[in-house]
Amino acid sequence: MKNVIKLFLWFLLALLNVALFWAGVFLFQNEYYELSIVLFSLLFLIDFFIINPKGYPYRYVIPALVLLFVLVLYPIYFTFKVAFTNYGTGHFMSRQEAIERLLYDPNFSYVVDSTFVSYKVFVVYDGLSPTEDFLILFRMNDTIYLGEKPRPVVARGQEVLLSQFNLIPVTVETVSLNGDTFRIVPWPADLSEINLVVRGDTTYKSFYSPDDEILRLNAPYFKSRIAQSYLVNAEYVLPDGKKLALRIAPDGEWRFMHVERLYRLAYKEVYDGGKMKIKTTVVNSLTGREVIEKEGAFYDVDENGNETFLVGFIDFVGWKNFLRIVKDPKVSGPFFRIFLWTFVWAVLSVVLSLAVGLPFALVLNNPRLRGRNLYRTLLIIPWAIPVFISALVWRNGLLNETYGVINKFLLPLLGLDPIKWFNDPFWARVGVLLVNVWLTFPYMMTISLGALQSIPPELYEVAAIDGAGRFRRFVHITFPLLMTIIAPLLVSSFAFSFNNFTIIYLITGGGPPIPNSTTPTGYTDILISYVYKLAFEGGQGQDFGFASAISILIFFLVGGISFVNFKLSGAFEEVSR
Amino acid sequence: MKKFLVIALLVVSLVVLAQPKLTIWCSEKQVDILQKLGEEFKAKYGVEVEVQYVNFQDIKSKFLTAAPEGQGADIIVGAHDWVGELAVNGLIEPIPNFADLKNFYETALNAFSYGGKLYGVPYAMEAIALIYNKDYVPEPPKTMDELIEVAKQIDEEFGGEVRGFITSAAEFYYIAPFIFGYGGYVFKQTEKGLDVNDIGLANEGAIKGVKLLKRMVDEGILDPSDNYQIMDSMFREGQAAMIINGPWAVKAYKDAGIDYGVSPIPDLEPGVPARPFVGVQGFMVNAKSPNKLLAIEFLTSFIARKETMYRIYLADPRLPARKDVLELVKDNPDVVGFTQSAANGIPMPNVPQMAAVWAAMNDALNLVVNGKATVEEALKNAVERIKAQIQ
Repeated sequence: MKNVIKLFLWFLLALLNVALFWAGVFLFQNEYYELSIVLFSLLFLIDFFIINPKGYPYRYVIPALVLLFVLVLYPIYFTFKVAFTNYGTGHFMSRQEAIERLLYDPNFSYVVDSTFVSYKVFVVYDGLSPTEDFLILFRMNDTIYLGEKPRPVVARGQEVLLSQFNLIPVTVETVSLNGDTFRIVPWPADLSEINLVVRGDTTYKSFYSPDDEILRLNAPYFKSRIAQSYLVNAEYVLPDGKKLALRIAPDGEWRFMHVERLYRLAYKEVYDGGKMKIKTTVVNSLTGREVIEKEGAFYDVDENGNETFLVGFIDFVGWKNFLRIVKDPKVSGPFFRIFLWTFVWAVLSVVLSLAVGLPFALVLNNPRLRGRNLYRTLLIIPWAIPVFISALVWRNGLLNETYGVINKFLLPLLGLDPIKWFNDPFWARVGVLLVNVWLTFPYMMTISLGALQSIPPELYEVAAIDGAGRFRRFVHITFPLLMTIIAPLLVSSFAFSFNNFTIIYLITGGGPPIPNSTTPTGYTDILISYVYKLAFEGGQGQDFGFASAISILIFFLVGGISFVNFKLSGAFEEVSR
Repeated sequence: MKKFLVIALLVVSLVVLAQPKLTIWCSEKQVDILQKLGEEFKAKYGVEVEVQYVNFQDIKSKFLTAAPEGQGADIIVGAHDWVGELAVNGLIEPIPNFADLKNFYETALNAFSYGGKLYGVPYAMEAIALIYNKDYVPEPPKTMDELIEVAKQIDEEFGGEVRGFITSAAEFYYIAPFIFGYGGYVFKQTEKGLDVNDIGLANEGAIKGVKLLKRMVDEGILDPSDNYQIMDSMFREGQAAMIINGPWAVKAYKDAGIDYGVSPIPDLEPGVPARPFVGVQGFMVNAKSPNKLLAIEFLTSFIARKETMYRIYLADPRLPARKDVLELVKDNPDVVGFTQSAANGIPMPNVPQMAAVWAAMNDALNLVVNGKATVEEALKNAVERIKAQIQ
C-alpha cells in the first residue's frame, strides 16, 4: 500500500515536471523569458529538493518558494525593469511586435484596386452540416484560380501573423497539385455555375459566395467558422505576385480585394566607425520613404516633412525616469515639499492614533470596568467598516463645508465659524488626519490591549508596595513594556500610512490645489498620490515607466525608514532584559 | 499534497483556452439587452456571446492592462474619449465602412474617429442640460441673467432650505458650457484633427465664461463646495430648483417622484448659447482579439441596426446616435431637451492629451471659486500646466 502511494506521488511529480516544462516552453515561445526562467529554476529546485535525500527539510518550503518567486520577486523584478523603459500610453508593445504590426497588420495595408474579385467557397459536408475543410475558387479576367486553406508563413508564438497560399490558375477541368487531383464540375463554366470541386475522393460542394443570393444564407457559418479562423490574416498570391485578401467592403459584405502592404522591410548600408553594416529599416512602399524611428516610436514622413505617429514600442530609456525626479523642475519642485508632508502625515497618523487608542486600551484593561466587551465592540466599529464607505461618509456627510454635520450643526452650536475642510490647506490636512485617526485607533487599541495582557501583574504589586503612584507605574512599567511589544507594529503601521493612498485619494483627492504649480499637486498629496496623478492623470495618459521609477524610490524610502526605526525600536529591548 | 496543488493551479492559469466566443464588457444598464442580442447572434452564427458587467469607470483601465497581453474582452462598451489613448496603443481595431453608417449623426461618428479612421459604433450621445423642478420653476429661464434672478428669489423665499441653482462648481465638465459658449476651446479643431498645441482655455471667451461662474459664486447662488453628489442628492430630495446634469441622472429623479423638466442650458447672453461637452458612447473592438472579424460583424450587422439601437434606447434611454431612432423617440420630452442641448455642443476631445486637461482645469476652477486666484491667473496657469505636461 505504501509503495502504491509512493508510486502515485512519483507519478504526480512526473506530471508536474511535464506541466511545468511545457508551461516554461510556452512562455519562452511567447517571449516571456523572465517568467520562463523563473519556472525552469523552480522546476530544478523542486526536483532537486525531492530527489536529493539531503534536501529533505527543504521540501516543506517549496510552496513558500513558489509564492516567493511568483508573487514577490517577479513583480519586484518587473517594476525595476519597467522603471528603465518608456512603458506607457503609446508604448505598449515590444519593438519586434511594433515592426511586425507595420509589416503584417491588415490595417497597414492599402487596397490597390477597389474592384472586388468574385469568389466562391466550397466545403466538405459531414452529413448535412458543413465542416471547416474548404476550398475557394476565384475568378479574375476570365480565369479561374483555385485556392486551398492558406498556410501560416509568419507566426509569433501560437499567433499566426500571416498565412498565404499561391493560387493555381485552372484552365482545364482537372488540375494536379502535390499529388492531389482537383476536378471542377461542371466545366467549362462560369464561377457562378460551378457547384462541385472534387479533390481525389473528397467532394467539396458550393457553400458561399457574396454574389449569390441563395448561398448568402450561409454567410454566418462562413464568417464565424471559416473566415474568422483562416482568412483574417491570409493572403492569396496570384502567379504575377499580386495579393488577394479578405476585406469588409463598404456595403458590409466580406469580399476579396487586391491589397498591398503599406510597409516593407528594407536593408541599407550604414557606415559605423569605418565599418559597413547592414541595417534593417522599414520603408513605406507608397512613398518609398524610410520610416523614422525615434523616442521609442515609428513615424511616417510625408513629402512636406510632416511626421505621423504610426506605432510606439517599449524602449529602454536608461536612467531617464529617475533623472526626471531630480532634473525636471515640474517634478522636483513639489517633490520635496510633498516628501516632508508625507513624513509628517505618517508620523502624526501613528502617534495620534496611538494617543487615542492607548487610553481606551488602558480603560478597557481595567477589570473593574463593567460591560467591557460591549465598549470594546463599539470601539472596534470604525475598524470594521470598509474604508471606502467611511471615507465617503466623512467626505460628504461630516466634513462637507456647507452641508456636513460638523460645519452645519456642531460648530454653530459651539458658536464657531464653519471650517473650510477642503479648501484651507491647514484644515484639509487636519481633516485627512482626523479621518485616518478615526479609522486606525481601534487597531492601536486592540494591539495595546493584547500587549497589556502580557505584562505580569506582580510588577504592579511590587511597584505599589514600593509606593509608586498610578502615573509612575504607567511611565516606568506599562509604557516601556508595552513598547517592546508594539514598537514593530508601529513601524509597520508607519510604513502603511506612508503609502496610504486610499484615504488621501478618497477624502481630498490631494487638494486643495496649490496656486501656480505646474504639476497636479495639492496640499494634502502624499508621495504615492502624487505619483498616481503624475503617472495616470497627467500628460498623455499612463506613464508606467515613470510611475515605476518613483515606486522604487518610495520602496527605498520606506525600507530605509523602517530599517532605522527597527534599529531604534531595538533600544526598547534593552528595557525588557 | 499542498505543494502539488499550488503548482498545478499555477500551470492551469497559464493555459489559454481558445474557444469560439465573443466577450463583451459593458456597464450595468446594457447587460440585459446585450445578453438577449447575444442569444440572437448565437442562434444565427453559432458563436456564444458572453456579456460581462464591468463598472463603467473600470472598463478602460481593465482593458488597458488586459488587451496588450492578448486578453480582455473582444468588444468593450465605452466612451468616445477613450478612443485616442486606445488607438495610440494599438488596442482597438478600426471599423470598416458599413451600410448603415449614413444613418448616424456626424457628431457621433466624428467623436469615434481618430486619425481619419472610425474606431467604434456609437449608440448614444450625452450632453448636460438644465434640469428644473417644476414645483419651483414652472418655466425654464432662457438666459443666465434670468436664471440668476430666479435662483436668487428661490434662495430668499426658502431661506436656504431650497437652493435655487446648483452645479458642480469646480468641475470643468460642468463649467465647460460657459467657457465654450463664449468662444473658449480645449484644442483647436483643424482639418487634420485636433491641434494639441493650440489651447484656448485662457482666451477671452474662456475668461468671460469662468467670470460668469465667479459672478454666481460672488452673488451667493453657487457655493464653492457644491459638488456632484450635493447637487444630485439635493435635487432628488426636492431641495434644489435647478441643476445642470446629464441624462444618466434623470431616472433617479423620476423614481424619486420629482416633477422635473429638461431644457437646454440658458443662453449666456441673448443669442450666445451655452455649449456643453458632448460625450458619445459606443462599441469598440479589441485589436488583439482572435475573433476581431466576428466582433466587427456583430457590431456592424447586429448592433448598428435601427431596431437594435431602438431596443438599446428602450433599455437605457439616452440620446440615440442614429438619426432614424431619434424619430421613434420624439415623444420623450427628456430626450428632446437633452438633444437640444447637445445640438450646440462640442465633442469632448478624444486625444490622450485630454488627460492633462481635466486635473489642471478642475484645480483652476477650484482656486477661482475659493478666491485663491483671479480668473485670468488661474486659467493662464492651467494652460501652462497643460502645455508643460503634454509636450
